[in-house]
Amino acid sequence: MAEINTGGGGGKHDGGKVRSKKASTRVDMTPMVDLGFLLITFFILATTLSKPSSMTLNVPDKTKTEETEPIKASNVMTIFLGKDNKAHYIFGKAANEDPEVKTVGYGYEFRQALQENAKKVGGEKFVVVIKPTKQSTYKNMVDVLDEMAITKLKRYALVDQLTADEKKLLKDKAKLDA
Amino acid sequence: MPAVKIKRASSTVDMTAMCDVAFLLLTFFILTAQFRSQDAATIETPSSISGIKVPDSDIMTIGLGRDGKVYFGIDNAQNRIAMLDNIAAAKGLTFTNNEKKEFSLMSNFGLPINQLKSYLSLPKEQQAKVKQPGIPTDSTGAAPTNELKDWVFNARKANNGLRIALKGDNLAKFPEFKNVLATLQAQNINKFNLITGTEAPPAGWKAD
Repeated sequence: MAEINTGGGGGKHDGGKVRSKKASTRVDMTPMVDLGFLLITFFILATTLSKPSSMTLNVPDKTKTEETEPIKASNVMTIFLGKDNKAHYIFGKAANEDPEVKTVGYGYEFRQALQENAKKVGGEKFVVVIKPTKQSTYKNMVDVLDEMAITKLKRYALVDQLTADEKKLLKDKAKLDA
Repeated sequence: MPAVKIKRASSTVDMTAMCDVAFLLLTFFILTAQFRSQDAATIETPSSISGIKVPDSDIMTIGLGRDGKVYFGIDNAQNRIAMLDNIAAAKGLTFTNNEKKEFSLMSNFGLPINQLKSYLSLPKEQQAKVKQPGIPTDSTGAAPTNELKDWVFNARKANNGLRIALKGDNLAKFPEFKNVLATLQAQNINKFNLITGTEAPPAGWKAD
């Protein structure tokens, strides 16, 4: 190692006593450091540090049907998750009433649309219906559910069946083959 | 007059401090980290702002690959063997002790039941090369060809406290997710977790 032996050697000094050779008290730590970092590298590569988070999803019981009062179409925003990371939504009207279909990207645009429409209806009456189409991805769905958590909208439903009216509407106005 | 000697600086570096740091870090990593399990497929999950962590134990993971393949796994080796015993009894199959042991080491898998036995008998290196075709599902969730429902049922039979986590890939298409959802709903499982990455919530956002 790169160490110069500076320890006082033994040997006969002029007229002095014969001394035993003094062992150096310094321990070479280099191999120990090597070993330490080797183990660190191993642990970094072989383990996962952060645990993934999870969001809970509750879906209604399919075996039971509950009678609920009908929801007014004027309070409902229906979101269709389309292809190429675009979402289409209609607000205030049912699909057979020839509503206006708006297209938004996920993220800020989407959140703004949600908040605006929620404000128009106000309070607890606002209902969001999420309808993923066949072209949408799992990420799209998680993003939308996440938006619901961000905007703190509690009344939403994930519906995986599109009605014939809605399919026609999407085909005509969003060029989406649902 | 003797020549002026330059005092030679010692070239030894004191490694003690460095050694301390190295072992401190090592201790930290050993204590906090958990081992990465060998997965049947890499799944890139989408991120969400949800702060709920996935539970450590008693968890059943249903993976959904980007190509729509379904993978299944439960967490405890004992439970895996019990689950395999249950499903073998239900399907009229028998597994040897060696195969059971192999199976108990797999954190997740994506194989139809009839291919499982031949897969388990392969040596380790070849197992990694096998392209797992995914567990068969269907859109109603109750068809006889739907094997995911058998796995879920028998896993819950082996350990009743299992919580269900769904781990889907970013690019997995919705219809495939719907098949998994239908399978769970057909068994009256209406509450489960979606595993996501962590993402910072927008500024000013507070959890209720």
